[in-house]
Amino acid sequence: MTGSQTHPNTLDVMQLNIALPNGHRLLRDVSLSLRPGEVRVLVGESGAGKSMIGKAVLGILPQNLKVTEGEILLEGQHLNAMTPWTRRKTVAQSAALIPQDPLTALNPARRIGPQITDPLVRIHGWSRTKARETALALLDRVHIRDPKRVMESYPHELSGGMRQRVLIAAAFAPSPRLIVADEPTTALDVTVQKQILRLIRELQQETATAVLFVTHDMGVVAKVSQQVTVLFAGKVMEDAPTERIFTDPRHPYTRALIAATPSYADLDRPFSPVPQALIAELQDDIVRDDARHQGGAR
Amino acid sequence: MLLKTTLIRLLTTAVTLFGVAVVVFVLVRVAPGNPIAMMLPPGATEADIAALEALYGFDKSLPEQFVIWLGGVLQGDFGTSITLRRPVDELVLSRLPATLELSIMALVIAVALGTAIAVIGARRRGTATEVGLDLSSGAVLSVPDFLWGLVFVLLFGVLWPVLSISGRIDPQIEVDFTSNFYTFEGLLRGRLDVVQSTLSHMLMPALALALPLAAMIAQLLKQNLKEVLLQDYTTLARVRGFSETSVILREALRNALLPTLTLVGVQFTFLIGGTVIVERIFSYEGLGNMAIDAVINRDLPLIQGIVLLFAALFIVINLLVDLSYTLLNPRLRHG
Repeated sequence: MTGSQTHPNTLDVMQLNIALPNGHRLLRDVSLSLRPGEVRVLVGESGAGKSMIGKAVLGILPQNLKVTEGEILLEGQHLNAMTPWTRRKTVAQSAALIPQDPLTALNPARRIGPQITDPLVRIHGWSRTKARETALALLDRVHIRDPKRVMESYPHELSGGMRQRVLIAAAFAPSPRLIVADEPTTALDVTVQKQILRLIRELQQETATAVLFVTHDMGVVAKVSQQVTVLFAGKVMEDAPTERIFTDPRHPYTRALIAATPSYADLDRPFSPVPQALIAELQDDIVRDDARHQGGAR
Repeated sequence: MLLKTTLIRLLTTAVTLFGVAVVVFVLVRVAPGNPIAMMLPPGATEADIAALEALYGFDKSLPEQFVIWLGGVLQGDFGTSITLRRPVDELVLSRLPATLELSIMALVIAVALGTAIAVIGARRRGTATEVGLDLSSGAVLSVPDFLWGLVFVLLFGVLWPVLSISGRIDPQIEVDFTSNFYTFEGLLRGRLDVVQSTLSHMLMPALALALPLAAMIAQLLKQNLKEVLLQDYTTLARVRGFSETSVILREALRNALLPTLTLVGVQFTFLIGGTVIVERIFSYEGLGNMAIDAVINRDLPLIQGIVLLFAALFIVINLLVDLSYTLLNPRLRHG
């Protein structure tokens, strides 16, 4: 484990297993850690379990999914050992979420302003004035014109890009130590995606916030991350610094993922999906793995 | 734009009321039973009958009678009650407050009870509590309002007599109010004895009317709440540290109320319809009780007056529902 006693990692996920009620594992012995101010990208195809890790950290797993084994430490505190109430408070104090779809992540019946300031006042105990000033300053920082008017607006009066900016501002507002960004650009126009990525990166650097960034896009990986975790079927395939992932990918699945990323520079290159043979081979591995795991559990 | 909608609304209202007027006018005259025969002793002569028919205008043709009546209505004259011998509008308006107070109290009980049960059910979703609440609201829903009335009479009037089972107010209390809104005016004037007495008389009929609606609200609202609670913004609120209860009350309830509101609007008109029988059971001096007497006595002008008033009431309620919809849903506010 990296980090000393006085400076614990912002996040440690250790041997995390998540399973359906029937015992089928969706996450298999996943371990990863984030140092303060570090950006780690979780990359993988749909169903690889990358969003699930973020949800497990924040305590918002769907009701039918359970953490069966493993530990999650947020700033050195064991989340699993806490009562639901303490856990909720602890997570709210040090973590925040930038959600995937800005169109559904804002309450359509409430004005933007209170949606940013409410948690600051009611959970973090700030004064109304301080919360409002912080919100206005952050909205300005995420390049929203006329923040005062936007605070009075309803979500349907804003574009998708603007709503995602609002959600970014709301995530950074309570100065969290960790932000989980769950595919924050997937639902946006390609033109807006870049700006949003840059914005998250800038704010992250200014505030030295650790970010767990979930994406399926290797292009995004190159732009934002320092560390990469490559997932397949709920299992870590490779964990490495971003530079090395692109210059010297060691796992065949990582190589296949990089090869499958479309490139604007070379549109004529034929699309090369991850080969079926490789997927079959990896799945065989996992079946053997699960059998061993079950045998060990008994 | 707004002017146009308002005009269209007014026009459709007028057409609806005219349609109601035609239907009720024709129906009460086509239905068997002759008001004149009920007013005269058995041995009355042909001449007596003819004279009385002429007095009330029953000797003219149906269209003629209708035109005369409608002409009066347009000038605010709804005719004279045959049995009570007083102007219909005066009679009807003197009873309207009692029925309105009863309906509003029933509505308040239904919404409060239904919302509370829905919130508890949503909070405890997936547990035995939810199943239990579902089963009880199903059971409550399958019993009609007048039967609840009888059950309450038995429970709180006979077995454990704590509530008054008949009338609107204790006859010993002297009321010298300007309006017949005893509860509202009593509150304004600080006459708490009047308020207390009317409320205790109203409680059982109001509860009987409210229970089925409360069960309906509970079921629909809980379903809507559960759907809203899967939305991303409720997840985000949980991440931000809000408790499940506060997520339901602050984030979900308002959005879940929208579809429920339509139901409440429609069902409130049914509830007012239900007052007719429930008022009878509790001898409550409201419009419904008067309507039943009017029908029994073939008091044609009074029936017409009451039905028109009910129709107007339903239209007003629907208008209010539409307005509150715009209030709750900011997306409907512009344009």
